[in-house]
Amino acid sequence: MWKRLYDWIDQRVQLGGLMEFMGKKYVPIHAHSVWYYFGGVSLFLFIIQVVTGILLLLYYKGSEELAFESIQFIMSKVKFGWLIRSIHSWTANLFILTSMIHMFSVYFARAYRKPREITWVTGMLMFFLALAFGFSGYLLPWNELAFFATKVGTDIPGVIPVIGKPIMVFLRGGEDVTGATLSRFFGFHVAVFPAIFTVILGIHLLLVQRQGMSEPMNAEANPHTEKKTMPFFPNFLLRDLLLWLIVLNLLAVLAVFFPWELGQKADPFAPAPAGIKPEWYFLFMFQTLKYIPGKVLFLDGEILGVLLFGFAGLLWTLVPFWDRKSNRGERNRFVTYLGLFAVIYIMILTIIGWVA
Amino acid sequence: MTRVAGLLVVCTLMLTAAPKTWADDKCFSCHQSLGDRASELFPRDVHRLKGITCAGCHGGNAGIEDMEQAMSKAAGFLGVPKGDEISRACAKCHSSAERMKQYGSSLATGQLEQLQASVHGNLAASGKEHIAQCSTCHNAHGIASVKSAWSPVHPSQLVKTCTRCHANATLMRTYNPSLPVDQLEKYRTSVHGIRNSRGDAKVAECASCHGSHDIRTAKDVKSTVYPTNLPATCAACHSRADYMKEYRIPVDQFEKFSKSVHGVALLQKHDLAAPACNDCHGNHGAAPPGIASVSNVCGTCHALNADLFSASPHKKAFDERKLPECETCHGNHEIIVATNKLLGVASDAVCSRCHSETQNVKGYVVARSMRALIDSLEQGERQAVTLVEGAEQKGMEISEAKFKLRDARQARLEARTMIHSFSSERFEEVVGKGLNVASAVSVEAHEALDEYVFRRIGLGVATLVITVLVISLYLFIRRLERRS
Repeated sequence: MWKRLYDWIDQRVQLGGLMEFMGKKYVPIHAHSVWYYFGGVSLFLFIIQVVTGILLLLYYKGSEELAFESIQFIMSKVKFGWLIRSIHSWTANLFILTSMIHMFSVYFARAYRKPREITWVTGMLMFFLALAFGFSGYLLPWNELAFFATKVGTDIPGVIPVIGKPIMVFLRGGEDVTGATLSRFFGFHVAVFPAIFTVILGIHLLLVQRQGMSEPMNAEANPHTEKKTMPFFPNFLLRDLLLWLIVLNLLAVLAVFFPWELGQKADPFAPAPAGIKPEWYFLFMFQTLKYIPGKVLFLDGEILGVLLFGFAGLLWTLVPFWDRKSNRGERNRFVTYLGLFAVIYIMILTIIGWVA
Repeated sequence: MTRVAGLLVVCTLMLTAAPKTWADDKCFSCHQSLGDRASELFPRDVHRLKGITCAGCHGGNAGIEDMEQAMSKAAGFLGVPKGDEISRACAKCHSSAERMKQYGSSLATGQLEQLQASVHGNLAASGKEHIAQCSTCHNAHGIASVKSAWSPVHPSQLVKTCTRCHANATLMRTYNPSLPVDQLEKYRTSVHGIRNSRGDAKVAECASCHGSHDIRTAKDVKSTVYPTNLPATCAACHSRADYMKEYRIPVDQFEKFSKSVHGVALLQKHDLAAPACNDCHGNHGAAPPGIASVSNVCGTCHALNADLFSASPHKKAFDERKLPECETCHGNHEIIVATNKLLGVASDAVCSRCHSETQNVKGYVVARSMRALIDSLEQGERQAVTLVEGAEQKGMEISEAKFKLRDARQARLEARTMIHSFSSERFEEVVGKGLNVASAVSVEAHEALDEYVFRRIGLGVATLVITVLVISLYLFIRRLERRS
């Protein structure tokens, strides 16, 4: 039956060429092959986000009056609504975590070097979009914590001279976080960001398929040694599938044992609750801003912090273009130390922010 | 500077130029010959008795016969003090402990500061001086000791002194249009006012409650009549057994009130909605405005209970026996939190005081059934709360059921109010409403707890299926790789 189905499709869309391409595609096997799986896991989590997001969209109402109540309804009345919402929330966090791991593994393996500069840049753009997904989605339940965290979060770009205030007003849909902000974030979260993300993801996957997996520099340096490989299809894909199943089970465990809380409905007139914190992936930046003195030379501490993080993000995104040594196949210790510093810094500041 | 120099001269003259005999006080002898009101009053003035001459307040030299010289600026003559100058002239001595000691007085020396910090220390309508000066209450030339019956601030006179302004609607409108001007009329209807008019100087008059120099508005937290301070103000007399002995009334009201539900709310929780003494007994009058008797006061706050009681069969029975309405069951000063214990036929229930199996049997049956009903409602609500809390602790979304619990609580409160109708039918109706809500909430909470178990079982099944899939896939991959 499968054969007949395949033949039927093949006669119409010529699957032969694609099968031939896939059959020739190999994944290198080496000591660091494990890191290849994080890209696939991130993709799987993104797919879960899309599916659960669409399901949530069937019941969610993106208005100040109804947002909280609609989530409450999803959690208590809709069949398996609790599961879908909890999985969506947990997946959002795991997606950022696996994307981060994927990004750092690519960075340390120098997989961004020529000819994969565009793959790296598209990956970085997707990572920033993932953060934007997280930030915009966090407000959608319209609960107390999300309301005040969004207030603090949208205040931060507001400190940038000249363009800061218009950016803040654009993000909020006005001077303050209101129902207009919620509508706006909802629009970004379910329409604008997914549209952009899908295009970039398409380019990213196309490039990965076209260029294949990058090999570590030392493997490339010894062209004469025999290279171990694994067929992408079906071996690597089946391994990916196996990992996806484990991740799916992990998500189910998290959703059942740690259902995502809803909290209290946001009240714009209530005082901010104590201990307002952003989501864990913004904590290192939030904590850094706390440590920067109010005034550094002629600059406001907060402005300095925002500019520093902006500059660091830009530097990180453009690493394939300034790391010329790696492009030439030489070891670049500076890049390694910079990456290690970034990992350690993010981890320590996140822990401090979490505990504080 | 000139004024300070003038004051110094006055002080010096007052101390050094005091006449050896009153005939030497040329100011007084001259004014006495003129027959003016000041010299008529001055001989009995407490200051004159202490040896203070006219020059003590007005300046000048009382020892010089020549009027021009005696009343010259060089002699430190100040003339008739006006506005704040009056209080300042008094304060020269009354604010100086040393000076007061010289005259053998033990009076406190902070009166001027207190007066200026008081509500009377506000600016007068002219905007140039304070509302009240010392002479406003104490007079100018015939000042007598507070203990003297003809002093305007003696308890027998004070009410009249205060009402000189406080009963003057035109004057009071200038300062506080919302302040009533009928305090005196009300006061005269009270026990305090009646006794005061008969010459009893021990009963409360204006200063007893409001203070003397440091009078503050009732809205000022420092005021002696601010709600949270008032019970202590009343207790200053009413808790003193020796002071109250002759009136033969209890002196434990404050003690009882402090322990009561009202006292705890007012004095410990600072809940200004809770009644202080005056809310039941009236401020100046014998009872709050529009209330014929203190025993009817409860209904002004507990209106629904009072209405239900008035329409109940108890109303007639209480009236016939001349029993106070609320007080009979709840007490007066020591009203404690009303619990279900008050209801029913147990020995500690108030119903059992009049109703038993042999006496007033109908009430006995009603009380017994009401108690059983409210107990069942409380139990139902408690069970619902426990289930909701249990489901919530397990992380279940149960906010709707939790919200509904408010209705059960509301029904319980309504039921407690409905007790005052003493009607089984009406009571049953309200309790039934509460029981239905509690039962619905319990069902929802049970469903949530069942769902909790279902989720875990579901997870177990899903994990099993996924594990089987993972193992199968793993074996398939191994076989595939071995083959290649």
